[in-house]
Amino acid sequence: MTQTTETPMVELKGIKKRFGDLEVLKGIDLSVDRGKIISIIGPSGSGKSTLLRSVNNLEVIDEGSIMLDGVQVNRPDLKGLAYEKHINHIRQNMGMVFQHFNLFPHLSTLENVTLAPRKLKGMSANEARELGMELLERVGLADKAQAYPSALSGGQKQRVAIARALAMRPKVMLFDEATSALDPELVEEVNLVMKGLAEEHMTMLIVTHEMTFARDVSDWAMFMDGGVVVEANTPDHLFSHPDQERTQHFLRKHLGAQA
Amino acid sequence: MEFDFSPVIDYWPTLLQGVGVTLLIGLAVAVMSIIGGQIVAVITLYTRKMVNWPLRFFIWLFMTTPLLLQLYFLYFGIGEWILIPAIVVGVLGLGFHYMAYNADIFIATIKSVSSGQYEASRSLGFGHIRTLLYIILPQAFYRALPQLSNNMIIMVKDISVLSAIGIGEMVYASQYAISVTFRPFEFYITIAVIYYLINLMMEAGQTWIERRAAYRS
Amino acid sequence: MDINLMIEIAPLLVKAAWVTVDISARALFFGFFIASALVALRTSRIPPVRWLARAYISVVRGTPYFVQLLLIFYGGPAIGLRLDPFTCGVVVGAFNIGAYMSEAMRGAIESVDSGQNEASRSLGFGRLATLQHIILPQAAPLMIRSVGVLAIILVKNSSLVSIISVVELTYQAQRLIGSTYKPLEVFTLSALMYIVIIYAVMGIVEFLYRRATRYTFL
Repeated sequence: MTQTTETPMVELKGIKKRFGDLEVLKGIDLSVDRGKIISIIGPSGSGKSTLLRSVNNLEVIDEGSIMLDGVQVNRPDLKGLAYEKHINHIRQNMGMVFQHFNLFPHLSTLENVTLAPRKLKGMSANEARELGMELLERVGLADKAQAYPSALSGGQKQRVAIARALAMRPKVMLFDEATSALDPELVEEVNLVMKGLAEEHMTMLIVTHEMTFARDVSDWAMFMDGGVVVEANTPDHLFSHPDQERTQHFLRKHLGAQA
Repeated sequence: MEFDFSPVIDYWPTLLQGVGVTLLIGLAVAVMSIIGGQIVAVITLYTRKMVNWPLRFFIWLFMTTPLLLQLYFLYFGIGEWILIPAIVVGVLGLGFHYMAYNADIFIATIKSVSSGQYEASRSLGFGHIRTLLYIILPQAFYRALPQLSNNMIIMVKDISVLSAIGIGEMVYASQYAISVTFRPFEFYITIAVIYYLINLMMEAGQTWIERRAAYRS
Repeated sequence: MDINLMIEIAPLLVKAAWVTVDISARALFFGFFIASALVALRTSRIPPVRWLARAYISVVRGTPYFVQLLLIFYGGPAIGLRLDPFTCGVVVGAFNIGAYMSEAMRGAIESVDSGQNEASRSLGFGRLATLQHIILPQAAPLMIRSVGVLAIILVKNSSLVSIISVVELTYQAQRLIGSTYKPLEVFTLSALMYIVIIYAVMGIVEFLYRRATRYTFL
C-alpha cells in the first residue's frame, strides 16, 4: 500500500484511545492511498468502529496522529473555537455513514442531502437542488426526493444517508457498519451503491460484518481484535489463507454463519 | 325561571370586541411562551448549573404557584414601583407562566433527540450552534407539538382569569354588560359557548398539526 | 424584606391556606365520585347515556373553570341555584375536576393489556369482578399519578374562588398587598404556602404510588 510516493489520502500513526481504564485502540497504523478501499473486520468490541469514528474525530484519540490528504486531523494544540473551526472544516472533506442511518427526520429526503452544501458551502437553492437530485438519482431514489425519512425502508434510508455524505464532495467516505442494521433482503441495494462508488475510485474505509462484500470490493483488508491489528493483507490472502490463528478462527465462525 | 337573551344581542358588539381581545392576547402569549420556552430550555440545558439556577428557580416558581397570585403580584406589586398597563402585565404574566410550562416540555424533547443526530450533523461539518439550530431544535419542536398545543389550549382558557386585573377580554366585557343589564346567567352561558367553540376549533387545529408533524419525527 | 411584617401576617395567611386545603380536599373527594360515575356512564349499554357523559366531559373540559365558577355563582340564582361562595367553590371544583379525572381514570384502565381482561373472563369472572380484581389493581399506579397531577391543578385553581370572595390564600394575599403595600413579602409568604401544600400533595401521591406498585413490576 505504501509503494507510491504521493501523499496517502488517509494516514494513521500510532493511534491510541482509552475509555476510562479500558484501552480500546492500542497503537494502530494504517495508510490509505487515493482511490483505495480498505475493509476493517473483526469481532464486536475489537475497536474497529472506534477507529473509524476517530478518523472523523467523533472519538478524540489520546495518542498518535491522523492525516487527511496531508492535513493533520487531530490537533491537540488547538483549543476551543479554533479547534471547532478546524474540525468542522476537516469534516466537510469526509463523508460518514452510520449503522443507524441518522437521517434528519424533520427534513425531506432532498433537504437531507442539500442541507450541508447550502448552509456550509453557501450553495444557492437551485444549485443545491440540482446536486441533490443528481445524487439521489445516483442512489436510485430520485422519486423519493419529497418523501420524509419515516416513509422510507431501511435500505432506502441508508442510500439517502450515502447521498447526503456525498453532497459535500468528500475526499474519503467512512462506512461504520452501514448494512448491519438492515434486514437481509435490503443489504444488497446498499452494497450496490457502495460498489458503484468503488468503481468511481472513491477512497473508502469500510467497517463491516459482510465478509463476502469486503472480499469483493476492497483493495486491502484488515482484521482487528482487542484494539490491535492482528493481520492485514490483500483480501484474497486474508480471506483465503489467513496467517494468524485468531483470523482463521474468526473467519471460520463468520463465513460458517453466512453459508 | 325566565331567560332573556335579548341583552346579549344588544351588547353583542361589546362581547365581540372582548372575543377579539382574547384572541389577540392568546396569539401574543403563544408566540412569547413558545419562543421564550425554547430559549429558556436551551439555556437551562447548555449552560452550567451555577449560571442557570435563577432560570430554573423561576420555572419552578411559576409552576408551583397559581396564575392569579402571580398576576396579583405583578399587577399590584411591580405596579408599586413602575406603572405598567394591565394589558402588559396580563400578557407578560400569562406569557411567563406558560413559558415555564413550555420550557419544561422543550427540555424533555431536546434531550430525547438521539445522539446519532448530533453526530451525523457534526460529521457533515456543522458546529455546535448550527447543529442545534438546524437539527436538534427543529426536531425537538416537532416532538413537542402535541404537548405544546395542549398547553396552548389550556392557556386560552386561562385568559379569562385576566379579567381579574381589569383586562377587557370576553369575561370582563360581559361583566360590564352584566352590570348594566343584570343578566349574569345569559351572558356567562354565552361566554361559555364562545369558549367551547374556540376550544373545538383549537382541538381540530391540534389534530391537523399533529398529523402533519407525525411523519417529521 | 420586612421580617416583622411577615411574622405579623403569617397567622392570617396560614388560616387562609387552611381554607385552600379544605376547599381543594372536598372538591377532590366529591370529584372522585363524579369521575367514577362518569367512567361507568361512558361504558353504559344505552347509547344516549354514553353520549351524555361524553358531552358533559367535552363541555367541562372545553370551557374555562373560571367561567364555570362565575356562571354557577352569579348565574345560578336565575335557575334556582343559590350557593354560598365556599359551597359553590367545592361544587364547581368537584364537577370540573371530575370530568378531567374521569378521562385520567379511563386512560389508566385502557392502559391495562386487553389480554388481562380476556384471561380473567375466560376464568369465569364477570365484568365487575374482572374490573375489581384484575384491571383496577393494575391500573392503580398510573391512576394515582394522574389524579395526583389533577389534585395539584385543583389546588392552583382554588385560587380563583377568591373572585367570589372566599377568604382563601390568594384572596388574603391580595387583601394584604393592598393594606400593607409590601407585595414582595406577602407574595413570598403566600407562594411558600402554596409550595408547601403542593409538595404535601406530591408526597401523598408518591406514598400511595409506592404502595400500589408494591406487588407489580413497573
